[in-house]
Formats: sequence, C-alpha cells, structure tokens
Amino acid sequence: MLNEQRGKIFFGDVLFIAAIMVLLIFGLAAIFSASHVAGANSANDNFSKQFYWIMIGIMLTTIIIVLPTRYLYFSAYWIYGISIVLLLMAMIFSHGESIRRWLIIGGVRFQPSELAKVATLLALSKYLSEDARDLRRLKDIAIAFLIVGLPFFLIFIEPDLGTSLVFLALVLPILYWAGLPSFYLFVIMTPFLVMAASFNYYTFFVIMIVAIALSLYFQRGLTVSAFLFAINIFVGIMTPFLWNRLHGYQKHRILTFLGIEADPYGLSYQVIQSKVAIGSGGFWGKGFLNGTQTQLRFLPAQHTDFVFSVIGEEFGFLGSFFILILFLFLILRGIYISAIVKNRFLSLLVFGAVIILAFHAVVNTGMTVGIFPVTGLPLPFLSYGGSFMATCFLLVGFILHASFRRYQYF
Amino acid sequence: MNDHRQNLKQKQNQLFLFFIVAFAILASRFFYLQIYRQEQYLRASENNRIREVILKPNRGLIFDRNGRVLVDNHAAYDVFVVPFEVQKRDSVLRLTAKILSKTVDDLKARIKKKQIGLFNPVAVQSFVDFETLSKIEEHKLELPGVGIQVVPRRFYPDSANAAHLLGYVGEVTRDELKNGNYSNVRIGDFVGKRGLEKFYDQILRGKPGRKYAEVDALGREVRTLTDRPEIPPVPGKNLHLSLDARLQRMIELKMENKAGAVVVVNCKNGEILALVSKPDYPERIFSEAIAPEQWQKITSDPRKPLFHRAVQSLYPPGSTYKLVLAAAALENGVEPFSKKFNCMGAFQLGRKSYACWKPEGHGNLNLYGAIEQSCNVYFYQLGLETGIEKWAEYSKKLLFPQRTGIDLPDESSGVIPDRDFLDKKYGKNRWSKGLILNQVIGQGDVLVSPLQMARLAMIIANRGEFFPFHLLHYIEDPLTGEKKILTHKSDHVVGISDRTFEVLRQAMWRVVNGDNGTAKAARVWGIEVAGKTGTAENPHGEPHAWFIGFAPYEDPEIAMSIIVENGGSGGRTAAPIAREIVRTYFSSEFRNVE
Repeated sequence: MLNEQRGKIFFGDVLFIAAIMVLLIFGLAAIFSASHVAGANSANDNFSKQFYWIMIGIMLTTIIIVLPTRYLYFSAYWIYGISIVLLLMAMIFSHGESIRRWLIIGGVRFQPSELAKVATLLALSKYLSEDARDLRRLKDIAIAFLIVGLPFFLIFIEPDLGTSLVFLALVLPILYWAGLPSFYLFVIMTPFLVMAASFNYYTFFVIMIVAIALSLYFQRGLTVSAFLFAINIFVGIMTPFLWNRLHGYQKHRILTFLGIEADPYGLSYQVIQSKVAIGSGGFWGKGFLNGTQTQLRFLPAQHTDFVFSVIGEEFGFLGSFFILILFLFLILRGIYISAIVKNRFLSLLVFGAVIILAFHAVVNTGMTVGIFPVTGLPLPFLSYGGSFMATCFLLVGFILHASFRRYQYF
Repeated sequence: MNDHRQNLKQKQNQLFLFFIVAFAILASRFFYLQIYRQEQYLRASENNRIREVILKPNRGLIFDRNGRVLVDNHAAYDVFVVPFEVQKRDSVLRLTAKILSKTVDDLKARIKKKQIGLFNPVAVQSFVDFETLSKIEEHKLELPGVGIQVVPRRFYPDSANAAHLLGYVGEVTRDELKNGNYSNVRIGDFVGKRGLEKFYDQILRGKPGRKYAEVDALGREVRTLTDRPEIPPVPGKNLHLSLDARLQRMIELKMENKAGAVVVVNCKNGEILALVSKPDYPERIFSEAIAPEQWQKITSDPRKPLFHRAVQSLYPPGSTYKLVLAAAALENGVEPFSKKFNCMGAFQLGRKSYACWKPEGHGNLNLYGAIEQSCNVYFYQLGLETGIEKWAEYSKKLLFPQRTGIDLPDESSGVIPDRDFLDKKYGKNRWSKGLILNQVIGQGDVLVSPLQMARLAMIIANRGEFFPFHLLHYIEDPLTGEKKILTHKSDHVVGISDRTFEVLRQAMWRVVNGDNGTAKAARVWGIEVAGKTGTAENPHGEPHAWFIGFAPYEDPEIAMSIIVENGGSGGRTAAPIAREIVRTYFSSEFRNVE
C-alpha cells in the first residue's frame, strides 16, 4: 500500500512548480528592465546570465528530486563539513580585501555562505531527526545551536550581517517544529524581547507583566519563575544603563549596524528611491520598460536586492500583490508538506527550507517598502545572482523531494 | 505518533496564521504606498526625473577703442565628478587623482568644498589639457561618475597686457556669495575678481536661463523636455573701452623692468587712453588653469605685481606739486614776472639749511624761471610767504585729495596735510616751519595718486575744465547690437582765474621748451608739449621720477602723468617716456587707424 503511492505527483505540486515558474518569469522581466539600455533591443548580459543560472537551478532541483532520501541523510554532515571548510577558505584566500564573501574555484566565483545555508539545514535536520534526540535535554539543544552557530559566526565576521541573520532565523522555528517545549522557547526569547523593550517604561512594564503571566502559566515552580523574573529585570535595567555609557559614535555604529539608524547618504537613499519607485507605480504600474525610476537608474541595486521595486514601479499594486500571493502560496504549501511528510528528517528539511525562503522573501520585501532595515538579503527567484539562485533551487528540490515521498517513513 | 501528527497540524495552523498576517501587513504596506500615497510618490519620481538645467550665459567681451579684442571667450574643458557616484568608490577617486596628478585627499577636499547636494556635478579640475582629456576618455568605463564638461573660459589675446585694468575672473567663494550682492550666482560660477571684470561684473555677467531636462540618476541629461518652455540665457554685454591697446602696449614696453605707473587721458572728455602699472603679471596666465605655484610666485613677489599702482598707489608728488603752490601764490596776488627770490643753492631757516637740487644755485629767478628750472629755494620762500593754509586751500580747489572717480575698484584718495593734520600728527605747534618747506614742494606727508596728477595736468591744460576719468566708452548688447554710450558732464574748478592757469601753462611750456627747462627730454618736433618734472625723495632709495604734462600746448588733446619708482631724476627718466607717448599718439599712422 505504501509503495503504490510512492513517487506520485499531486495537483498541489504542479501549482507549486507553476508558481515558481511565474516568479522566475517576473524576475527575468524585472532584470531585463533594470539592465535595459534605451535603444538596445537585444537581451542584455544580466538577463542571459540569470537565464543560464535558472537552467542550472532546474538541473539541481531535478537531481535532488531523484536522489534517494538516504543519500541526503547520510551526506548531510559531510556537506556541512565541506561548507565550513569553504567558509574558512574564503576567509583565508581573501586577497587582503575587507569583505571575504567570495571564493573562486576553477574560475567559478561563488559565495560559500549560500552553500552553508543548505548544508546547515541538512545537518540540523539530520541531527534533530536522529532517534536519540530528546529536546528536553539541554545538551541536545546546545549542539543544535552549535551547528547553526558555527556558520553564523563565520559569516557574521565576513562580514555579511544579512546572510548571517538567516541562520539565526532558522534555528528557533526548526527547533519549535522539531518539538522543543514551548517553555524553552519562552526562556530563550524573553531576554531579547526585554532588551528591545527596556528603553521605554511602558513597553518594559507590559512585557514584564506578560513574561510573569507566561512563566506562571508554564507551572515550572516558583523558584524557576522567580529566577527568570530576576534575570529579565536585570537585563531590563542593565541594557539602558550600559547603552547610556556608550559614546555617541559607538551608539551610531551599533544602530547603523542593526539597520535602525541609517546613514543618510547610503542606505536611506536606497530606501527612499525604492519607496518612490513603488509608490509612483500606482495601481496599474507604469508599464514594462516605462518605469522612470528604473530606466533612469535612480534605484540602487535594482536588479539584485531591490528587484521588487522594479516590479512595484512597472507592474503596480496589481503585480506586487500577485507576487506576494505567489510567495504566500509557496510558503503555506511548503509548511503543509512538512506537516504531512511522514519522514521526520524530510519534514524538518522541508520546514527549514520554507523558513529560509520565507525569511528572505519577507525581509527583502519589507526592506523595499521601508518597514525593515536594509540588510542586503536577495529576493528568492527574482533577484539577480547565481549562488543564491542555486540555493533557492536546492531548497525547492528538498520540498518537492519530500512531497513526492510524503507517505514514505524511511 | 498520532499525538505528534496532531501536534504538527496544530503548529501548521499557527504558522499559516502567522504568515497570512505577515503577508497581509506587507500587502497593506504596498496598498498604502501605491494607492493611498501614489500621488505624492509620483510627484517625487517626476522631481527625480526632471531637473532644471541652468543655462549659463556667455560673459561679455571687452574691446579697446578701435575694436581690438582685449578679452575673449574660448571653450575649455573641465573634469567633473558626481559626488554620489564616487563617494563609495575609492578606486575611481584614486584613478581620477592619478590622471589629474593630485592626491586623493585633495580631490576629496575639493569635492566637499564645492558640492551642492549629491547629484550636482562638481568641477574638480578646470581647463584640462588635451592629454588629460584623452586619458579620462580612455578610462571612461573605469570611471563611473567622472566626466568632461565644456565651459567657456576667458581668453586674453596679446593685443595689450593691461593686466591690472582688465582684472580677471575666478570662482565665486562662499564668503563672497554670503556678503556680496550677487544675483543669479551659484557656487562654482565665475565672477570678476579684480579690475574691470570686477567693476562691471553685473554688466558682463548676463543672466542665466533655464530649461527642463530628463536626467538619469547621475544627473546626465537624457533628453530635453519640450512641454516646458526653455528660457534662454541673456548674454553679458560687451564693453568698449576708451583705452587704446597700441598706446597701452607701447607704454608697457617702455616701462618694462621698471616700477611705476603711467596715465594718459583725453583732456577733452576724460577718456583714459592708457593706464599702465608696473611691475605686472602676464594677463595670459588667466587664459589657462593657473598653477598654484605660479600664483604663489605672483602673490609673494616682494615687488607686488598684483598691485594696481596707477590707481591704488600713493606717492609724494615732489616738484610737480610746485604747480599747486604757484597757483595759490598767484591767486594771492603774486606777480609772476616781478616776484623774485635769489637762490644760492640752499636756504637757511633758523639753524637749519635747506638745499636746492642744484648746489651752485639758480641765482635770481622769477616764478617762470623757478618753475622752468624747478628751483627749490624759490619755492621754499614762496611757500613761507603764501602759508600752509592757502597751500592746503588751493590743493582742495585743484581737487586734492579727491578721487578721480575712475571706473575701477579700490581707487586711493591721497593725503594733503593741512594745519589740523600736522597738529594731530605731531602735536599742536610741535612741528617746525621746516616741515612746511618740505611739504610745499611736494615732499613729507603729501601723498597723491598717479591718476590725481594726470587730472591736475588736465585741469591746467583745460584752464580749469575737467572730466571724471573713465575707461568705459560704450556698452554693446551682443544680440541686438544696440549701443549705450555713456556721457560725462564736464566740470570746472572754482575760484582759480584763467590768468593763473595761463601763467602755469606758459611756465609748463618753458619746462619742456625753455633753454633751462628740466624736461627738455620731452620735446617732440612739431608738437608743443608742456609739463613739469618731479624728483620725489623717499625713504626707499633713489627718488621717484615724475613727469606730468599735456600736448599740444595750444589746444591740448592729451594729458598725462608718469611716475617711475626710484627712477632718479624726473627729467632724465620720466620725461623721455612722455616724449614717446606724444610721438606715438600724434603719429599719422596711429591717428588713421580707422
């Protein structure tokens, strides 16, 4: 009975693939427009490169789909190890440049941090799906954090803040999905929330009330609750105190780093131009190749990080909303698959893939409309770039791989 | 296991809710930007796209009285950078700096000093040569945000140097913009800094026009928008001067390697024919980008070549000022033929002896002879008789120390010390009569400008009639050819009789043409020249050589003043220059120029 349903393609999968195709077409159109030189009618360089990368991506997806699950499972740690080595190599062979993101192997330039995303996901999924894991045990949680923490740290010091955030965004949801007790989630998350809320008496007060209520709700005994309370109060008082002891330039550096305070000439200019582009698109958009912001190059990084602005300007609210719907569909479909997949490893793998894609999509879109800080995360399937395109296709490969084997236990 | 499934279903639903809410927030943000605030952002994108382009007017040209071009406009090439484009690309700055042979810090400082916003191009190097130009073009692809601009620049043909009087233009400084009344001038624009360029800056500059163009993010024009009318720039007006370039050039050559000033003026209308100041600097250097070292050399030259001596310098007038004392005495009832003093080579006042320039003495002289031979002893005694009050009064009547009102910036006015002045300077009654002796023969505290001395020559030549000095003959509109001729009203000296002027004129005739005249070197065959020499003692070495005069004697056309700093005797050094001026001006070749 189990074997009958093996390898079956569902209507949902067809829709899933179609949605990705549409996104890719939108992306190609936006890249064409963004790199378009008035008067030239041939396809431009960026467009054709992106097209080749998509072709390579489709090959990668196909390979992932046909590979037996055990291959993925057994190679997970190996791949993880290789990606860590590559990250270290990028650091060593940096040619004295201050930004060590790129590695050139056999004439091909790529970002090892992209491979690290996939590799970390594989390793984490494997680790968390091993039979011996018990997520109530502190040691197991700590090792999960270490698996993510190592590439996070290496990428953080590259420095590539945006990409390193992807690893942070991955770890908590996947632990949650793997069954980490919500009390632990609460314990991990509260101090950070308290830290952020501690600059204002009201928000601090509210968050402490909520924290106390929750810690009582979890019924871990008075000692634990009191201890948590004490820690949070301490964090809440120390944060503003330490902050105020910093020098102005140090504060500014940290805020700029976190993207809260933009430097007036660089990042905020990009966001303003992006908002102008999107806002001026109106409901219908200015039309393909007719966006003045795009064609006159007012948009910075308009074929990479700010590709959504091109779509917003030239295809309007209609186009933007359509893209959002497609992404939402992909995410919900992915979560659905990871919920019904019988194999725990695949379930975690799919879930992690969805989280990575969703994080990129939401943060990038939020950035282009000015509600998130500029972090330099590209938009899946739309932004120009080969390494990231490969990552996206690998992640899609995981999702489809699992979907086709949803009834398979092993 | 079922429990676990149940658990996952629950988590799935939570996450569904989370992502639906998240995407709803994103979608509402798009709605807010694209529908609710579309109008505002559309306007912003139009403002981005459409830029007002300032069309710079051509600066007016300057011609001499015969239509020779003194100041012209030529095309030059500026290297500009767009600050936004280069601010994060050190490689671009490095390469640009290398091509322009500057340091990166220099370049950055210059950009910072001159930028207006991030998108207006900033000229980092003006007047680049062809080699630099082609290097920039060659590396075009490696230099995003760097480009070449064609700009008009001032060009000074070699018809005459006239460096001081023409002046030069330079980029307006922020201070000038703040303090001066410059309309329609932005940072980076050129304005007159000295000379006529400064004095007539308003007229020469013209009015900028504007057009609207679609630009890209680098501020490069993509196309001109036709739906908004273009306002063409109004070019600056041309100046036609009364100056004669050939006379000017001739005098410049005569004054080569000397320091001093020469003023030649038409005494029938006050037009300046030549205005020379030496040492000067080659005006030509302003045709190109002037190297800082070269400029440094000029400004730090101890001989002060930037100083416009004809207008700004003050000198003791020496014996030329005896004419003023003579006028005062004559008006005071002195008879020129019968008023005689004896010169023994020196004059004793109290315990001190005051020498004449001729140690053996001039003997018994009347006023004519005293002027002709410039006898100090005669004038010491005449001065004592006339008194410093009368002397100062008649100095005033002869317009000292009034400015001549020439159309050049920074004219100096001079010092004529009267009793009050001396009381103030030396203390009441603390100064001796000897001081007066010095003063009445144009030494001591008396200071005059070369322009004022030319005016004195003009007043005597015209028997009291004079005109304000001016260089500008007429203003021409380069578009319509319309001429605006400036008229200058004549004026008359008050309180000095024609008879007095006649005596002075005759005496000045004798200075040049008399047997014992001190300015025999100014004689010209066929043209009667009249004048007066001066040899002004000064603390800086040799005395200054003066000559003032006019010609022709009967119906004077030109008046002049000549000073050669530390030139020694006026008769030997200054008078020959006067002869050259008269010879040139009245030569048939010169007069038939048109």
